[in-house]
Amino acid sequence: MKAFRGLDSISVAGGLGALAFLGFLPTLFPGKYLIGVLTVAAIYGIWSVSWDFMSGLTGRENFGHSLFIGVGAYTAGFLNVQFGWGPWWSLPASMVVAAFFGLILGFPTLRLRGPYFALAMLSAAVIMQRLMLIFWEFTGGEEGIQDITPLIKDPLHYYWFVLALLGAITWFLAWMARSRWGLILRAIRGDEATCLAAGLPITTYKIASLIISAAFAGLGGALYAHYQLQVSPQLFAVVTSITIITMVYVGGMGTIFGPVGGALLLTLMTEGLRNFGEWRLMVYSLLLIFILFFLPNGIVAPTWNKIRNLFSQERP
Amino acid sequence: MEILIYGAVTSAIYALLAVGFTLIFGVARILNLAHGSFYALGAYGTYVLTSMVGLPLWSAALIAIAFVAVFGVVVEKVLIRPLRHSQLGVLMISLAVALVVEQTLFLVFGSEYRNVPSFVDTKINLGGVDVAGQRLLTLAVASVAIGALYMFIQFTRLGSAILAISQDPEAAKYMGIPSDKIFSLVMAISAALAALAGVMAGPFLSVQPSMHLLPIVKAFAIVVVGGLGSIPGSIAAAFLLGYAETCVAYLISSSWTEIVSVLATLLMLVFRPAGIFGKRAAF
Amino acid sequence: MSYSTKFRSLRRLVTASALLGALMGVLVSPQALAQAANTKPIRIGVPTSVQLQVGRDTLTAIKMAVDDINKKGGVLGRKFEFVAADETENPETGISAIKKLTADEKVDLLIGGYTSGVTLAQLPHISAAKTIYLGVGAASPSITAKVKQDYDNYKYIFRVGPINAAHQARSLVDYISNFVIGELGYKNIAIVGENAKWVQDLVPVLAKGAKDVGADVKLTELFDTQTSDFSPLLAKVKSSGAQYMIVVLSHASSDVFAKQWHDAQVPVPYGGIDVKSMDGDFYSRIGGKSISEVAANFAVRAPLTKKTVPFFDEFKKNSANYPVYTAFFAYDSVYIYADAVKRAGSFDTDKVIKELEKTKHEGVGGEITFDDMHDVQTGKGKMNLIFAQWQDKGERAVIYPKELRTGNFILPPWMKK
Repeated sequence: MKAFRGLDSISVAGGLGALAFLGFLPTLFPGKYLIGVLTVAAIYGIWSVSWDFMSGLTGRENFGHSLFIGVGAYTAGFLNVQFGWGPWWSLPASMVVAAFFGLILGFPTLRLRGPYFALAMLSAAVIMQRLMLIFWEFTGGEEGIQDITPLIKDPLHYYWFVLALLGAITWFLAWMARSRWGLILRAIRGDEATCLAAGLPITTYKIASLIISAAFAGLGGALYAHYQLQVSPQLFAVVTSITIITMVYVGGMGTIFGPVGGALLLTLMTEGLRNFGEWRLMVYSLLLIFILFFLPNGIVAPTWNKIRNLFSQERP
Repeated sequence: MEILIYGAVTSAIYALLAVGFTLIFGVARILNLAHGSFYALGAYGTYVLTSMVGLPLWSAALIAIAFVAVFGVVVEKVLIRPLRHSQLGVLMISLAVALVVEQTLFLVFGSEYRNVPSFVDTKINLGGVDVAGQRLLTLAVASVAIGALYMFIQFTRLGSAILAISQDPEAAKYMGIPSDKIFSLVMAISAALAALAGVMAGPFLSVQPSMHLLPIVKAFAIVVVGGLGSIPGSIAAAFLLGYAETCVAYLISSSWTEIVSVLATLLMLVFRPAGIFGKRAAF
Repeated sequence: MSYSTKFRSLRRLVTASALLGALMGVLVSPQALAQAANTKPIRIGVPTSVQLQVGRDTLTAIKMAVDDINKKGGVLGRKFEFVAADETENPETGISAIKKLTADEKVDLLIGGYTSGVTLAQLPHISAAKTIYLGVGAASPSITAKVKQDYDNYKYIFRVGPINAAHQARSLVDYISNFVIGELGYKNIAIVGENAKWVQDLVPVLAKGAKDVGADVKLTELFDTQTSDFSPLLAKVKSSGAQYMIVVLSHASSDVFAKQWHDAQVPVPYGGIDVKSMDGDFYSRIGGKSISEVAANFAVRAPLTKKTVPFFDEFKKNSANYPVYTAFFAYDSVYIYADAVKRAGSFDTDKVIKELEKTKHEGVGGEITFDDMHDVQTGKGKMNLIFAQWQDKGERAVIYPKELRTGNFILPPWMKK
């Protein structure tokens, strides 16, 4: 089946199984708190997957992903509160706006190599954050926009909705990664000069993948806005971008599905560490160092590969 | 007139930070996001040694700087060197170090601001402008330090070795220059400069656990504008940025100052990634 | 294929799933188990910035009140206990703190708050959880405005303190008109504040009010909250011809501001709302450089009510410092809730809310009553803004309102004739 090209049936089963497990989890452990944490984890999953598609494949690490998230979220906020549009409009609108930002930022920055690109995107995100604060009359300053109407009132149903979107986006981007598109992006990571010599329009591909990455990040931002029921400049913060990059690291860069696990693991860990109070961030940072040193390929993807190999060995 | 003097002081601090940052980059290709932590540790070290151990200010400052230099060398050797093959890896690990330092300072000292006593507690009137003595001292010390560094690099053998490695690491190795030892030395100098900035500025700027953030953002901005790896570029850009911020604060409003450095970074990256004096556009 | 190898992978899958399930369980079940055993005590959830002084003092004050009430037998046969959740200064963490407290810890009421932005973000979630919330730290008027706009959903929200920003602006205007102009004779003022939402709301009211009482506002400027170098700003203030600088600071670096003002010997005394300056050790931790600054406080160690001085002294015994403002209100909140429950004769949320609205409680800073927006009222005998000045050796003297004055106003040391 073309949709599952490159994915053996074990991976498909694994993916669907994981989704089902996550969906059933709140029924095993009922309580709004867990649903809330899982919803946030799923949204972080969408952000991580979108980041991995562009940066994980091309090797151009984007340190300003929070810009697309914030832009999507604020679009949702503006449309919902300022213009009174229904919440469902936010989803496509946020994707369009975020994609637009991806376009205008991609053009000047994508020709930069290495940490320059990372730095440029980071600067852009910081500037957006500052602008949100400077033009506080329109954006609500650091209090942001309040009173956003929820998309689906029941938290459990909303969680399933977000989870379904996460599944769909992950499948779509994984499919893209296995197609010619992904091949080219990976080639760009390897050696741009060769690609150019081969006549590939790498600039188009780079910008296009940034736009796609941005669009999904913005969608995640809108989902977040309709869940938190408010948006604030904190969304643009560097911390958000770094958190997502860490999640991708933990999950396994370039694998697309790995970051989902990374997002889940880290969100749960952050909540689980709540009881540690002041030590929480410290543990987080030490963990980061640990992973960087000992598990450079992440945790989720290699583990899954091992599990998968177990199964394929057993087939007669 | 005020702009002239205040701008100079701000630029001096920025220069101290930027020069160290660009030095370690030029020589070892390390973008050290923990550079701000050296600044913070310099200030906190002085605070601890003066208020808790009771040492006189000058000795406390020197010991603090020495300690930070050693810390920098250790971090480089243990944490950064193993990851040198990956640019992102180095960025992430130095970031993690910065976070750990910030959290440690926070857990030990709390979130409130700490008071580092000034070296000079008088007010001086320079051309009709009231300036705190400490600020002028900072300007003087920074100039001396950078001047000394420049002379060191230009006129000593060790300095030439540093230049050689930054220009061509391979050739330097063939010439028998011990690059690892030089990396450690450069890291020590870089950390010491940042710590010196912290010691000098601590009395009149804020001393709290997250004080490493703004310096690293500014240092990055300056180094990008001036050209990564170029010391004269960093000094020039430091003054450019310092004065730009001061002008904006005076003529427009203090709420726009923080955006100046970030905007400068972005614009420079977009239009001229090499910076003003940089030799390399990308790598 | 042999029997053992055929099921090896299945066993591994089962083990892996079990481990994963156990991980989930570890995160969630301790709370579930704890809840089963705790149906009797009244649980207070405290969302606050645990890592800051305001958070620590909130918790110390609640502990003092809870211990006191429990010693006397509790309320309607039930004793209090409390649990904190860190909301930091970030709306996302704040919302998850509320969810943790209401959905997971299943608290009966919430006491806390500090940053207005975080509290505003938490409101819809508090309302969804139908839990009473007694605010002790956030001053934005928008918080209580919701009570009037949408009573059914937001009736759970009360503000025990601080006085909302609009009232604070009016108090500041009174200070300017009666003291700065009236007693000191300074007509030219500068208004300086951090670029935060509550200040942005407050400053226009302040500037207009000041002009209406005859002040000449020479300069109004808001600076970025993260500013660490105030020399351009201070120089501008000096050259503007202002004789007094009114400040509005909360999250910004008041310590650095005071130090730089002192070191440059700016010939303009200053005062106003400076939240960090309310800390008991503000003066000493910056080497005494805040001398002559006048800062607004909600209570000082003076007999504002019968409870003020005993509270301050008792607090100092429990903690190393004198309390900041969130502590007074947190302390009062526990008693206010307890009294409302006693009058209602039950813990039913709606009945307790009706009684809370009728509160008339002698608190640490004044008598506490609520208006129709569940906001604490100001006025004679009630909660008021008190202006105290840092003087020699870190002593604070109340200099305004006149009835509460405990000392004379002093000028900065370099301005003494």
